[in-house]
Amino acid sequence: MKTWQKLKTNPILWKQYFVRERVIKEVRSFFDERKFHEVETPILIGNPPAESYIDVFQTTLLDRTRKGTPAYLSTSPEVALKKLMTAGIGNCYSITKSFRNTEMQSNTHNPEFTILEWYRVNTQYKTIMDDCETLLLSINKTLGDGNILKYQGKSFDLSKKWERISVKDAFLRWANVDLLEFFEMEKAKKICAKKGYTVASKNTWEELYNQIYLNEIEPHLGVDTPTVIYEFPGSMAALARKKPSDPRFAERFEFYIAGLELGDCYGELTNWKEQEMRFQEELKELKRLGKTTYDYDNDFIHALKEGMPESSGIAVGIDRLIMLFANVTNIADTMFFPIGDLFEK
Amino acid sequence: MASISTADFKKGIFVTFKNEPHQIMEFQHVNPGKGSAFVRTRLKSLKTGKVQEFTYKSGESVEELPVETHEMQYLYPEGDGYVFMDNRTYDQVTVPKLLIGDFVRFMKENDTYQILIHEEDAIGVRLPKKVRLMVTEANEGGAKGNTVGGAMKAVTLETGAEINVPLFIKQGEMIAIDPETGSYVERA
Repeated sequence: MKTWQKLKTNPILWKQYFVRERVIKEVRSFFDERKFHEVETPILIGNPPAESYIDVFQTTLLDRTRKGTPAYLSTSPEVALKKLMTAGIGNCYSITKSFRNTEMQSNTHNPEFTILEWYRVNTQYKTIMDDCETLLLSINKTLGDGNILKYQGKSFDLSKKWERISVKDAFLRWANVDLLEFFEMEKAKKICAKKGYTVASKNTWEELYNQIYLNEIEPHLGVDTPTVIYEFPGSMAALARKKPSDPRFAERFEFYIAGLELGDCYGELTNWKEQEMRFQEELKELKRLGKTTYDYDNDFIHALKEGMPESSGIAVGIDRLIMLFANVTNIADTMFFPIGDLFEK
Repeated sequence: MASISTADFKKGIFVTFKNEPHQIMEFQHVNPGKGSAFVRTRLKSLKTGKVQEFTYKSGESVEELPVETHEMQYLYPEGDGYVFMDNRTYDQVTVPKLLIGDFVRFMKENDTYQILIHEEDAIGVRLPKKVRLMVTEANEGGAKGNTVGGAMKAVTLETGAEINVPLFIKQGEMIAIDPETGSYVERA
């Protein structure tokens, strides 16, 4: 049954789906109160930022003679917002649609999804952790039970300070692994084999790292309180800058509530040379993986050359936030038109 | 035993995990970043019935257990299991309670089901898409205080299971249920 049919036969469900508009209203008023500019960013773009873990949707832009230029659906508003910060907009945010291909068969992904990104200029990324705490609490005050968020039979007191743990400490605490030792590929292989994981010669370091992360770390995140896990290995910096005092790690954090990964934050990389090098590496990786490739966004590299202010920003999956406040476990149950309703198998 | 890749995963197949037979209850693809892809599974142990999560690297090879399906008639519950009989050979097998799970709510004596057999052990029942059962008790008045159109009420089925159905369903009617979710599908 399609979602609209379910709603027609069972109108009690409307309440669950209206959580979306209520969450988005709260998010807007939160940033309006803090004097952030809300901006619109393009969904149809010519040059995505190169990120190897994302498969982009490709389409074709036609001119009047039907001559085509490759075009893509935006995977996040990040580089658009960063260009505006370079231009001088200051603190800003966007709530927009983003698209990531090959993300089916998951309760927490929909290939078309709604993303919230906000950026603060001249701010350390730890300030964004505080933003996350206050944003979630302020949404809960309207949609939840005061300070208490109830999700799938568990209660979270959002007025309390969230658990904050570094990736390095998390590996030691839950996997009994010294991450500095694990940084060496040969040691990583040995550690994984000893733990009983299959290790093949084609496995990359990230695969070994993530196998431990997903099996032994993630199940502990956001269990009793929301958890911020911060300082990712440098090789997983994405668009984050390296930690100045220890470049083996990157200024990046994610936060979790009840096992749901809700947001991904960076202390933003402003060095254009390093950014360009990373894009080139990511592009190579995209080719190796056989994913859709493209010319990365050179205009963004230009912006960084002009000088983007030091800044920190985060991407939060709005649909997952809605899962939390609607108390549902499948992202499709937050959308009037989930992917499964639109494309029949 | 045959080696399969995570790309061949299907809900309900049987695999070896940590040298023990397990059934894949659910699986999901996860892409944590940097080109690495994983498959998160929920695996049920055929020995203990316990369910645990494990995340495989995408493309990792896994041993699939050979499983045969036999059409068998449900006879009766016995101890910690349910006895089924093959109507051609009269062979009887017992499916352990912990491997049948919630489906038992919709099982009717003398009805025929697809029984999964691994090395002579009965390890489960293949869930049909729909089960047809009679409503034996229904409150004609509908749920109290619930006047919203499309509201549901609780009824009892011939197997004793209670489920929610639309208000128009009456006692004595046959209805179809999706055994996976335990929810009403349609009049049958």
